[in-house]
Amino acid sequence: MKTSHSSWTYIFIAHMKRDFLTNSRSLIDLISIIGFMLLIILLFPLGIGPDKEKLGIVSNAIIWIGLIIAILPSLEKILQKDYESGWLDQIATTDVPLEIVLLSKSISYWLIVLIPTILSSPLFAILLSMELKYLPWLILSMSIGGLGISLIGLNGSALILGAKRGNILLPILIIPLMIPILIFGVGINEAVKTGESPFGNLFLLMALTLIYLVISPFISALLVRIAIGR
Amino acid sequence: MFDWLANPNRFKRITNKLEPFLIVISVILITLGLYFGLFDSPKDYQQGDAVRIMYVHVPSAWLASLLFLSLAISCVFYLAWKHPLADIISSSIAPIGAMFSLLTLITGSLWGKPMWGTWWVWDARLTSMLVLFFFYLGYILLSNAFERKIDGSKSASVLAIIGVINLPIIKFSVDWWHTLHQPSSILRFDGPSIDNQMLLPLILMITGFSIFSLYIITINVKTKLIEKKCEALLLKSNLREFV
Amino acid sequence: MINLENLTIQRGSRTIFSDFNSVIETGLVTIIKGENGSGKSTLLRALAGFTPLENGKIKLNKKSILLSTAEWSQKLIFIDTKNGLSTDLTIIENLKFWVGIKGWSTSEENLKKALKSVNIDKYANLFISQCSEGLKKRAALARLYYSFINKIDFWILDEPTNELDQPSRILFQQLISSFLKQKGTVIIASHDLNILEKKFNIIDLTLLNKRNIK
Repeated sequence: MKTSHSSWTYIFIAHMKRDFLTNSRSLIDLISIIGFMLLIILLFPLGIGPDKEKLGIVSNAIIWIGLIIAILPSLEKILQKDYESGWLDQIATTDVPLEIVLLSKSISYWLIVLIPTILSSPLFAILLSMELKYLPWLILSMSIGGLGISLIGLNGSALILGAKRGNILLPILIIPLMIPILIFGVGINEAVKTGESPFGNLFLLMALTLIYLVISPFISALLVRIAIGR
Repeated sequence: MFDWLANPNRFKRITNKLEPFLIVISVILITLGLYFGLFDSPKDYQQGDAVRIMYVHVPSAWLASLLFLSLAISCVFYLAWKHPLADIISSSIAPIGAMFSLLTLITGSLWGKPMWGTWWVWDARLTSMLVLFFFYLGYILLSNAFERKIDGSKSASVLAIIGVINLPIIKFSVDWWHTLHQPSSILRFDGPSIDNQMLLPLILMITGFSIFSLYIITINVKTKLIEKKCEALLLKSNLREFV
Repeated sequence: MINLENLTIQRGSRTIFSDFNSVIETGLVTIIKGENGSGKSTLLRALAGFTPLENGKIKLNKKSILLSTAEWSQKLIFIDTKNGLSTDLTIIENLKFWVGIKGWSTSEENLKKALKSVNIDKYANLFISQCSEGLKKRAALARLYYSFINKIDFWILDEPTNELDQPSRILFQQLISSFLKQKGTVIIASHDLNILEKKFNIIDLTLLNKRNIK
């Protein structure tokens, strides 16, 4: 019987591979998320007006908010499908701690959904007349914050397992939790703009993500155990 | 102590005795507090009479936070010891806490009008309170979102714990955001010095509000215990087989 | 021997068992029968360590199961009506990932053999979304083959034969026979007692419920 710690990495990778494969089979989901984000971005110039300067000032925040809103509908799927299909039961009958499995789920969500969406942000930046020197900071901050968002999203997805109309409920539960990530994430480029050092915000964002990295798997595992115990 | 109180019948007996005291004391305290607050305390040299909203605003804010903490503690008890009474207590606290946070927001907005000329200012405290209100809302919504009530209780309890972990982080981030975006010249709700004459009604009101919420929560708990008993009786008589 | 001692399990506010005592012999087949809603699935989920016990203990050779969940869960295969298959994957991919997360080697050869054991090797590359219920069930049951390669002592199966046709049932019975030969224990919830020709024990929840109502 292989139950050494080295086999945990093997199983961790098996979980990630499965998530990658299932998601690559439904690439349309990712395309619709990026399309949704593009539409959110489109709404702002239509609402605010095409004034380049005005848009340039708020572009950083708009892209961040666009990202958070665009991925909300996909968050529930981190666990919902696996819960309904009984896969979570199968996961629970292995000897790898649920916490580790769930961590792998949020990391693959980060890599599969968030990173591609974030990497399309140059397009959004151009549309919003953002100065391109802010772009590297934007992508960096969203990539780090994105991991935090995935981990919070994992909690949210676990919270609504088995709930009626959970997808409607999810944004109400999750958006308040994302406030700190938004503040520090947006703050990075705001600091660059005013000529200050962006590292204060950057470190706070990293610290925050690290905190979620430690806490979220445990909370989600607690919730998943509650869900499969019903 | 908790186990001892957790017996529903004993709980009812004790609270039945306590209730009259709670309501009388809270009415006295709130009346005194309002009297001192409204008539026998100095005006603020800048804000004038508008400062008197503080005597409702600050106690509400205080209770909204305190009740969320109690909610989370009760949720921990529920998850750890699975005692149904803890769940009933949590679900009784939540609406009261939500009302207090709403009251804080409304009074804050009323206070903002004479002070800043607008109904809403993105003040760090008010923003945090708004987030707290959403946590209460989330708790209430989630605990009612399941086919079987008890399934919701567990998930919602975890949400309350998530909230308690995250609130300090959110508070910190909002403060950070606030100092970033606004100069510190704006008036804060807590002036640097509070007159002793202002402190007395404030303390009276906070204690009064606390005891009053305790009173409402016990009534809430008792109602829910009765509801539960009715449900159990219905089940026994096989009127509703699957609840 | 698995002892169920004073089990009390609740679903919602409904008590499904209270002070339920029973014994499941190891190395044998035990069928849990009962009407719909009598708690067969709940009992299985409790045995698998999913559903928390309100009261009482499940003991394996005098050791409480819930206290050593990881150790216990590694020894069992649990398949219920939900199957645990992803519609975005093919039959063989589903099996492969299942073997992967169990921490076992995913050699092509064994995967093929497993699929052959339930006679679905020719459908290996069919997506689950295209499968009939019977095929899905067989795709799930193919996992059982891995009990013969790895250390598995218990099968916990919820209505395994419902969607199976007669030839598949015979294959399923053959799997059970081989498992019993290696001293495996099979726990099945079913209202169909004709699924086996072998000797088996019965835990009847129908009687239990009648007693409880009084």
